[in-house]
Amino acid sequence: MRFSIIAALVAGLLWSPTAKADPSDAVVKKVNGHIASAWKANQVSPAQRADDAEFMRRVYLDLIGRIPPVKEVRDFLDNTDPNKRSKLIDDLLFGKPDETGKRNGSAGYVAHFGNIWRREWLPQSMSNPQFQFFGPQFESWMRKQLQNNTPYDRIVRDIVTAQPFGAQGQTPDTQALSAFLFVNENKPENVAASVSRMFLGVKIECAQCHDHPFETWTRNQFWEFASFFAGLQPTGMARRLPAEAVEIRSLTIPDLNKKVSAKFLDGKEPLFQDRVSSRVTLMDWMSAKGNPYFARNAVNRMWAYFFGAGLIDPLDEPGEQNPPSHPQLLEDLSQAFTASGYDLKFLIRVIVSSDAYQLSSADPKASASTERNFARMRVRGLTPEQLFDSLVSATYYRDMQMPNQRQFVAPNSARGEFLAKFSTTERLSDVQTSILQALTLMNGKLVSDLTSTDVRRSELLAGVLDTPFFNTEQKIETLYLAVVTRKPTPDELRRLTGYVDKGGATGDSRKALADVFWALLNSSEFAFNH
Amino acid sequence: MNRRRFFQVSAGAAVGVSVSGWLQALAADTAKNPQRRRSCILLWMNGGPTQTDTFDMKPGHANGGPLKPIKTTAPGLEISEVFPKLAQQGKHLAVIRSMATKEGDHGRATYLMRTGTLPQGAIQYPYIGSLIGKELSPPDAELPDVVAVAPFRFFNFGAFSSGFLGPRFSPLIIGESAFGQAAQPGFNYEQFLKVSDMDRPGDVDPAHHNARVDLLRDMERDFSRGRPDTPALSHQAAYERAVRMMKSEAARAFKLDEESDKLRDRYGRNLFGQGCLLARRLVERGVPFVEVTLGSVPGAPAGWDTHGNNFDQVKALCGVLDPAWSSLIDDLRQRGLLDNTLVVWMGEFGRTPKINRGNGRDHYPNAWTTVLAGGGIKGGQTIGRTSAGGESVEERPVSTPDLLATVCRGLGIDYEKQNQSNVGRPIRIVDKSARPITEIL
Repeated sequence: MRFSIIAALVAGLLWSPTAKADPSDAVVKKVNGHIASAWKANQVSPAQRADDAEFMRRVYLDLIGRIPPVKEVRDFLDNTDPNKRSKLIDDLLFGKPDETGKRNGSAGYVAHFGNIWRREWLPQSMSNPQFQFFGPQFESWMRKQLQNNTPYDRIVRDIVTAQPFGAQGQTPDTQALSAFLFVNENKPENVAASVSRMFLGVKIECAQCHDHPFETWTRNQFWEFASFFAGLQPTGMARRLPAEAVEIRSLTIPDLNKKVSAKFLDGKEPLFQDRVSSRVTLMDWMSAKGNPYFARNAVNRMWAYFFGAGLIDPLDEPGEQNPPSHPQLLEDLSQAFTASGYDLKFLIRVIVSSDAYQLSSADPKASASTERNFARMRVRGLTPEQLFDSLVSATYYRDMQMPNQRQFVAPNSARGEFLAKFSTTERLSDVQTSILQALTLMNGKLVSDLTSTDVRRSELLAGVLDTPFFNTEQKIETLYLAVVTRKPTPDELRRLTGYVDKGGATGDSRKALADVFWALLNSSEFAFNH
Repeated sequence: MNRRRFFQVSAGAAVGVSVSGWLQALAADTAKNPQRRRSCILLWMNGGPTQTDTFDMKPGHANGGPLKPIKTTAPGLEISEVFPKLAQQGKHLAVIRSMATKEGDHGRATYLMRTGTLPQGAIQYPYIGSLIGKELSPPDAELPDVVAVAPFRFFNFGAFSSGFLGPRFSPLIIGESAFGQAAQPGFNYEQFLKVSDMDRPGDVDPAHHNARVDLLRDMERDFSRGRPDTPALSHQAAYERAVRMMKSEAARAFKLDEESDKLRDRYGRNLFGQGCLLARRLVERGVPFVEVTLGSVPGAPAGWDTHGNNFDQVKALCGVLDPAWSSLIDDLRQRGLLDNTLVVWMGEFGRTPKINRGNGRDHYPNAWTTVLAGGGIKGGQTIGRTSAGGESVEERPVSTPDLLATVCRGLGIDYEKQNQSNVGRPIRIVDKSARPITEIL
């Protein structure tokens, strides 16, 4: 066991390049052009290009939800192939090529984005125990779609037009799909607000109770939109009705006693089909070519995921008050996404290949204008899943589950406890470390075990300590590669070698090395994506 | 009430208020007693509490419902029969029956009531806990300045954020994941009131711990160079606060078992009751702001959001609220802390006076009630009046800024003080439209 760890820590593996023409190149060029001309126009100078280590850590976290293990870091840093970044992107998105050059899918991508979409669309299932049981079901369903790279419009259609929970003849799949309606309590107004916000990027629910003087949407419009969901029977009502009464396509605005019928956001009248849910008609309108919201919202949200801020931000308040920072970029990327057949991997690949994505997060000249211009990568929070799985990756924690085997609900497992403690539905760019989390990472059993010099408790540390041909500097370097995916700077190396060789505060150089490991695992550099 | 009348009334209330006057008085007071420092305990009623069944009853009216008013120790002040114990504390209560706000959405109203403003573009307004925590922070604070017990942040995360005041004043949140579970019978609340991992691992002595933290500080300093992002700044702030708390004697505040069984029973053996006891222990140790959320309880899983079956749910909620709140006031008084501790009771809005078809009450911001007690507040009185059916405010409408300014003044805070915001312009603690309720100060 120990030997295999040592082998993994020192081994190098040669890259096997498989060159391939890239259909998304032209779109990446367009994106780069728009970003660069805005830099010029606004007189902003961007941060430096991220080095290989910084890029590698970021793209691992963003695409498969964890940092790379030491061995892969060494391989990548040593690799001299000029195309190694785009190859890494493909490895993470499509899986590493086998002997024949075929890529057989990326379990990490599937598991990570399954979770990310659940956070996005079913935030209630992350925070509200009443809905928690739906989360894993939905996530499983989502993984299947990601595995098959189901087009985005198809996924949204399945969710928006899903059978309500408890409808007759449900399969596990259709039941998982009811989750979206269920967490919105099957209430027309709640479902409408969520559909509009999440799939169209338009927050209309403020108009639910009354018109707001400076907002675009009127109360009438809100209830007209909600009428597409009028046939749904809210949960918790003791009525014996079908789960959806498809013939109902109008609602009465509470308190006004005014009846309104379903109407699209652009004011057009829908043409309903007999005995077909209004939601199907709505979905046809949403995903029709030329719909001004649908593709743009998807692109904007995906952009915000990778950059910590959308091209339109707040994400769901488009309008004169909140114009896009790069309108033409948003337009071009939305068109390309639509033309790709709503191919999520295509969109992801374009974004992470762009110059802006590959900028450093450190910029001594950083200012508010750098942010709005995507001239520096923001420091973003990790989901609790990303943080735990990165801990596992950094430390060779024994309960390591491969991403495709990750358990969802295992309350008594280290992962389950950790996720419960670190759970949040805040936007990742706004995530703040809490005092409680700091205490857990400093003093909690998990990190205490992982940073113990007792070889039975810490796999990686034991491996580093016991590698016979490592000197102190190499040991420290290995810890840096494992935890923060980079080599230490000469200054850091000098400082820490001195600390370790002197035996730190305990006079024991093994413990002093464990201290370095402890400090790394508690650092911002580990705890965030940057 | 029409708009013009509203302005006349609120302008009238401002006459005779001299800001410098009370500031001088405060300064004199502080000079007399340099140790004096006030605290605030917010009892947050998640979901929007009904006023008609609690503090603004309408007996005999169709809107009134089945609950009956009872007398309190304050002459003329009547409150609901669901508060037999609180009625004994009536002389401390200032009941504001004329809250008039405009927001009926949980998320926006939660933000409004807790920050004093509606969400506006890029400005990250701090919530009132962080604002108060900053103003009243003891210079040598070992405990966090802001503690939130069992909050339900899901309605609006920003409403629980220190916003542009930065992570230094963000709340220590404990018991957050209790929502929902708290409604289950036999719910183990104790674990939600603990701060876990407060002690060093057994094999790490203090000098060793300090050496590790020093290594970490070096790494943080290097990383934050050129990365002025909130997440990383919050990380450093959280670690500094955590390290300080680990070394603090005051962290014993969390050891509720130091209290007698009798007192613990009086507060109620549940999350909210023991949360209120914890609040007292924290305030005693100088924490300026503590909030305790009353959300789901057995019999009312959605907290105060009583759209259906309102009356049974109100009874369930007040079965928890009445002993906790009354014990808190009494306990603070016995310890000589009540004069320095302002206890605020509020939610994001009230509920419709009209009873709906499901025997419930819906969201209602037009006319509702909040209650203040203790520090700096003249108790035993009511402010404002609603119409016979409770649908509208007929006297002394109180806006969100009015209320928050009153709270600040009760705490001796200059609510017109400005903080530098994240958009580069200074912003007052409370909006300049605020007219504090001088009658109760």
